[in-house]
Amino acid sequence: MAPTRRFELAMSPHVGASQTTRKIMFDVVIALLPALAAATWFFGPRALLIVFLSAATAVTAEYLCLKFMKRPVSFALDGSAIVTGMLLAYNLPSGVPLWLPVIGTAFAIVVGKQAFGGLGHNIVNPALLGRAFLMASFPILMTAGWAAPEAWSSSTDNSWGTSGIVQEEMSTIPMADAISGATPLNVLKQTFDLDASAENARNEGNIAEAESLEERADGIRTVLSSNSTYMNLLIGRSGGCLGETSVILLLVGAIYLVMRGVLELRLPISYLGTVAVLAWVFGGSGWFDGDPLFHVLAGGVILGGIFMVSDMVTTPVTPKGRIIFGIGAGLLTMVIRRWGGYPEGCSYSILLMNLVTPLIDKLTLPKVFGEVKKNG
Amino acid sequence: MIKARSFKGGIHPPGNKDLSSKQPITRLPAPETIWVPLCQHMGAPSRPSVSKGDKVTRGQEIGAQNGFISLPTHSPVNGTVKSIEDFPMPHRRTGPCVVIETESEDGGQVFPKWDDYSNHSPAEITERIKLAGVCGMGGASFPTYVKLTPPPDKNIDTLIINGIECEPYLTADHRLMLENPDDIILGMEILAYTLGVKRCLIGIEINKPDAINLMDEKGCCVLPLKVSYPQGAEKQLIDAATGREVPAGGLPLDVGVVVQNVGTAAAVAKAVRDGEPSLRRIITVTGRGVVSPDNYDACVGTLFSDLIGKSGGYTEDVKRLISGGPMMGISLYTDGVPVTKGTSGLLVLTGDEVRDVVESPCIRCGKCVDVCPLRLTPNLIALAAENERWKLAGDFGALNCMACGTCSYVCPAGRYLVHYIKKAQDAIRAGKEA
Repeated sequence: MAPTRRFELAMSPHVGASQTTRKIMFDVVIALLPALAAATWFFGPRALLIVFLSAATAVTAEYLCLKFMKRPVSFALDGSAIVTGMLLAYNLPSGVPLWLPVIGTAFAIVVGKQAFGGLGHNIVNPALLGRAFLMASFPILMTAGWAAPEAWSSSTDNSWGTSGIVQEEMSTIPMADAISGATPLNVLKQTFDLDASAENARNEGNIAEAESLEERADGIRTVLSSNSTYMNLLIGRSGGCLGETSVILLLVGAIYLVMRGVLELRLPISYLGTVAVLAWVFGGSGWFDGDPLFHVLAGGVILGGIFMVSDMVTTPVTPKGRIIFGIGAGLLTMVIRRWGGYPEGCSYSILLMNLVTPLIDKLTLPKVFGEVKKNG
Repeated sequence: MIKARSFKGGIHPPGNKDLSSKQPITRLPAPETIWVPLCQHMGAPSRPSVSKGDKVTRGQEIGAQNGFISLPTHSPVNGTVKSIEDFPMPHRRTGPCVVIETESEDGGQVFPKWDDYSNHSPAEITERIKLAGVCGMGGASFPTYVKLTPPPDKNIDTLIINGIECEPYLTADHRLMLENPDDIILGMEILAYTLGVKRCLIGIEINKPDAINLMDEKGCCVLPLKVSYPQGAEKQLIDAATGREVPAGGLPLDVGVVVQNVGTAAAVAKAVRDGEPSLRRIITVTGRGVVSPDNYDACVGTLFSDLIGKSGGYTEDVKRLISGGPMMGISLYTDGVPVTKGTSGLLVLTGDEVRDVVESPCIRCGKCVDVCPLRLTPNLIALAAENERWKLAGDFGALNCMACGTCSYVCPAGRYLVHYIKKAQDAIRAGKEA
């Protein structure tokens, strides 16, 4: 046969896995959908609207940035902007005004992502940066808009407080009506305040008041650690950011991501494991009496652990580095929960760890094959 | 049988070996004209020792060894030298070839037959292997005799025969193990005798149970290995077989091991027992871009276009022509390229088989770090190389990369990681520091 010349030249390898950045991003979007269903069910169609607005703003902002910088605009549809928009929305209370997610997402994309060079180059998680921006700029709106979880559900059972804690059980605690808590973690924070007040009272010699305060704190803690509270937190029938409450549906998303080979388990496991251990160590009233289950189920650590601690771009690439990142973020989360000014520390802990990611990578580079002589 | 072993990292690309694994090896006669490359081995090309118009006989030396890391080249046929000219090569751009008009392939005895190799000293055998032009037939084509002359301070205690064939699609070594196990075993014994080693293993991946059973029945010490790419890479094979890590920048000799491919073992047996130089090799022609994939026993110097013709020609949607396997093979713009001693396969891929992703920025997913068999951080090396920060790339261990392609395979951003890392290697070796 006469030689022919018509073949394409390319660098090896000539075959490859079917996974692409786009597929990964849309897998994340899919994995976020079950929790969105829960948010719509518990917080009403407004939750859906916020998520939609946020995602649409993200894509638009990305498109405009790319256009302005004369880069290929196809990046705007690679799914990463949608993920950022959805995650930011998931971190908002459902009662926020509709312009809030719009400016938050625009900030996240423009300043958090495109200013650093776009996909793959941002230093911190853009969604969390957007949330931090909103928290700093509109603190009241960001913490006042908690809707009661049954707003849209068919349930007519009104015995559930916004925090997902059964009012009936709460009423057995002395002066329960003095407890206001929009989210389970707010309620927990108040037990710490009660503990502090009790200690003050004790120091001032007011033993009776101290005991009464301690009794209240213990009473609340008992309710927080009850099976009905666990159940509410698990299904998402509790106050909180709209996408963070339904633990069980977030876990469904996680299972999907693991099956698709997108979720690397070192990060979520080291993060949630650290949260659980430290919750037991200092998450309660004293030492070694905290409730790890409550701490893991409440607040945003499940959402954060699955979708933000494991954000690929802003976390270490080395196996050891990932474990260090997870442990560091878990530690910061629990320190903020216990001693910080906010009831929840998930997003700030991740932002702080994002900043040290390059350092972690540098210090945990794997030993190259053959660098340590085994039989030398 | 002992439990299958492996190494840490690696990937599981679709094997696609069933395209050709059931095809017995077909012996092809030499074509009318052959282009015998003088640079079939790693190292310096042979110096041509014939000139235009000369009559050559089968097995005659047509290129003389040219330095330590070099080998002689022999004519696979009786015929007339038409010219000596540069020609496209499978592993480099072009190289000198002796073009021979074939008259016949009838074999005279080239070297004396040695019925019992143990009557000859290891030094004599090594010399024979050198004169016969035997080089590694697994791909890198390193002169075999050099591997058999370790520096005196190295104590070699293990010989591993590599029957892994971890590249997808390729089946040449598999067919050779099934059809000619006796030559492999004899070659193995000769190599072990020459090196003076007692411990001798043959590593085979468990996706070739027939080859494992056959070698086991023949009394070989078979080491079954898990299917994982790149299990057949020398360092990974040694790690799986002995638990020893070849030092970074070192050679298998440094941990007392010599690895030889099954094809090399068979070539050694032919050189020593039959006095036959290395003139032919087994080659798989496969991929969905060729009509009937097959395994051939072809003369070196046979053009790829001849092999494709024997396999029924190209299919309509042929896209890429590759010398070697899909992971490390080199893509060619033409099929007017001769077979060398190191050509294990000719792969013709269609558009559907080729990975077609547009490169996008690294999203730091870390998959390349997880799979790298040498525990490198390919994404970081590639980033450094892209920014021409060669020193940084070197600090990340760029020089250790063997270009197995595992990282590029898994990269969701479709980044040309191997390309960037090779670029860094070239720059570092050229002494660029930035």
